[in-house]
Amino acid sequence: MTIAKTSNKINSIVRACRIILSMIESDPNARESQKKYYHMLLKYYTRLRDARENNQFIAAHTVFFPAEIILAMDLVPMHTETTTWMTSLFTGECSDLLAAGARMGMATEICAPHRGMAGAFACGAIPKPDVMVWSNMVCDNTAKSGELVMDICDCPGFFLDRPFKDSPLEKAYMADEIRDMIAFLEAQSGKKMDYDRLSEVMERTDRQIQLVREVNELRKNIPTPFSPLGFLELLTIDYLFPGQPESIDYLVTLKQELEQAVKEKKGAVPNERFRLMTLFIPPMYLMAFLEKLAAQTGAVSVIEPFFTFWGEGKLDPSHPVESVVEKAYMIPETRMYGPLGTSALDAIKKCACDWKVDGAVYYADVGCRHSCATIKLFKDALADVDVPVLTLDCDVVDQTVTSEDEVREKMERFLELLEDR
Amino acid sequence: MFEGSKIHGSQPIGKTPVALEVFREVNRTFPGTAEIREWHSNGKKIFGWLCTYVPEEILHAGGILPVRITGYDRETELDEGNAYLYNNNCSFSRSCLQMGLTGQYKFLDGVVGGSTCDGARRLFDLWREYIGTPFHHVLTVPRKYTDRAHRLYLEEVELFKRHLEEHLGINITDESLMASIELYNQTRLLLKDLYELRKNPSPPISGAQVMEVLDACFRMPKESFNLHLKALLEELKKSPGGYSGRARLMISGSVLANPDFIASIEQQGGMVVADELCTSTRYWGDRVDIKEGDSLLAALARRYLNNYPCARMFPSEERFRRIVETAGDFKVDGVISEIIRYCVPYSHDLPLLTKRLADVNIPVLSIDLEYGSSGSGQVATRVQAFLEMIEARK
Repeated sequence: MTIAKTSNKINSIVRACRIILSMIESDPNARESQKKYYHMLLKYYTRLRDARENNQFIAAHTVFFPAEIILAMDLVPMHTETTTWMTSLFTGECSDLLAAGARMGMATEICAPHRGMAGAFACGAIPKPDVMVWSNMVCDNTAKSGELVMDICDCPGFFLDRPFKDSPLEKAYMADEIRDMIAFLEAQSGKKMDYDRLSEVMERTDRQIQLVREVNELRKNIPTPFSPLGFLELLTIDYLFPGQPESIDYLVTLKQELEQAVKEKKGAVPNERFRLMTLFIPPMYLMAFLEKLAAQTGAVSVIEPFFTFWGEGKLDPSHPVESVVEKAYMIPETRMYGPLGTSALDAIKKCACDWKVDGAVYYADVGCRHSCATIKLFKDALADVDVPVLTLDCDVVDQTVTSEDEVREKMERFLELLEDR
Repeated sequence: MFEGSKIHGSQPIGKTPVALEVFREVNRTFPGTAEIREWHSNGKKIFGWLCTYVPEEILHAGGILPVRITGYDRETELDEGNAYLYNNNCSFSRSCLQMGLTGQYKFLDGVVGGSTCDGARRLFDLWREYIGTPFHHVLTVPRKYTDRAHRLYLEEVELFKRHLEEHLGINITDESLMASIELYNQTRLLLKDLYELRKNPSPPISGAQVMEVLDACFRMPKESFNLHLKALLEELKKSPGGYSGRARLMISGSVLANPDFIASIEQQGGMVVADELCTSTRYWGDRVDIKEGDSLLAALARRYLNNYPCARMFPSEERFRRIVETAGDFKVDGVISEIIRYCVPYSHDLPLLTKRLADVNIPVLSIDLEYGSSGSGQVATRVQAFLEMIEARK
């Protein structure tokens, strides 16, 4: 099957980051942390764009894969799903990538970021990696995506098997898997892992998690100081820059800004009326619209149990591989990977109460089966604490699923319901 | 249904086997079969299992009747299933859940699942939360075949056995486990015999009829299943003739339970002579082989992890290799890939599997369907076109 070439999406992301940065830098009201965030994105995608030219080794990886390993080995990471999201976020659409995926025979039931990723590799929209490393955190799509990428890109790969439960044996299994994966990366890249460096990275990852917790504590304030969809920055930081000095710098700056805003009783939106819990990822191509809608309606996301709510736990960087495993079991979304028992449901209820949530919005991504299957469970759990849930059918990148008008209408009706309460 | 006389494309010679009637009755009455009702009224335990990575022999050795949790074998509304599992989960999971929510599995004393795919694990989560079966256990199933994966899975199998023993206050002895392994191995051998008959140029049994046998296999005690399967085999071996058709086909893909779907292919003249499904070879494919020095649980664990693989396993090449091998053994002219909508593991495999089969000159027709679907006019048209294409290649 011949797939027509398409434009270089990494270039598009780099250009968009530059434009946004120039806008932010000329805006006196812009957050300093936001500038740092876009500088980081610009650096990440510029490095990826120029990797071939600079003879650098690219390791493509799936979501929740421990990128700390790749970064500690000084390889160039390419977070595959996020790259599809960023394409949608910064270029407004990625229909050409989805179409390329479809031409390869990828069914529409496969989650769109994965279809887009395969399509992007096939049509040359993103650079082909030297290796593909992936894991089953957190769904079948992540588990199954790697082999097709290996085939398309004609590159070797390593599948990191993360066991379902968290018994000591299962964690030991994963640690051994990680050691094998490091050996694979060493053999392929010719670079040795520096375990002292990995320890440093994991130490910063631990600090990063702690800073996210502290940021979230500040978000408990009324009005909440953080921007309505700012949590996506926190998520992206963990996806693309785990354990990196610039992440710490960004989070420290953000925390200081939020502390100042709390002191001044300055809310993220002019008139905070509704405190929302966000369950899953809003459509990337509607982000600007959702930000605007939040400012207009005073509805702001104050907590995201499966993205930013890390809960308890501390990493032990003196055992770097084990701390990578520990993190894999602490990631908020992986609460949904293991047996979905009381811990996930209790986390939701705790978030609803502690952050004084009025309502929850469940972005029901049509391509995300394992999350949508929790809607009933989560709705029932939140009903126990008297929090209503709006379910919005959408797709994180595929624009054909939801329109702005549809989202506006549903959101407005939901907010009316909250108002009546 | 599925009378030989009704199959228009594949040309049947002779009658529908009499011995098939027992299996039809089981399928027609499931889950309220006579044997299940009797077992239940005698106060004996019945456990449901989800997915082929659950070692059924352990349940059997504990004096339990293991029954595979399946959904409706027909097209039907899934209102409750949709409400609880959302409609982007596979219709197999939604169909099973609907049957559970509407009390059709209320006789179950326990449910056992594996961490095999998103659909299975979420079905298990919702079952535990809303259906209230007294015992639940989910096994971690590694996705690899490495020694490390085998050690982990063996530990999981041992844990499952201990959990079961503690819950029921029983001791599952090696003797009873050995007897169960032998019984289940006999089932596998008998099914292998049945499949050997399908290698004939003119098989004495249709693909749809084989599906009826397989459906019954999960729904009745293996002791009686084996007896009836032996009777069927004897009848088939004495049968004067068999089926002919325009092309020999293999069905590959996810879970399938409605024989009408296969019948709809056979009605177009496709002879379904082989399959690779959760409900066929991936269920019975390999025997438990007890090597010297092995514990019985180690042998069981090895069999279940190494069995004809599900698309969830890595590397997928092992599944592709087996499919290509099966296609060759059964001399198939084409493969029909059936994938239940929203079955992600199999959807992901399809582009690569199609390439591997193309390498050995076997074309693939890909059909998406809902679990329980019997086929449709559109499926018939596509199968017709596929058969014409195969005929043109001959």
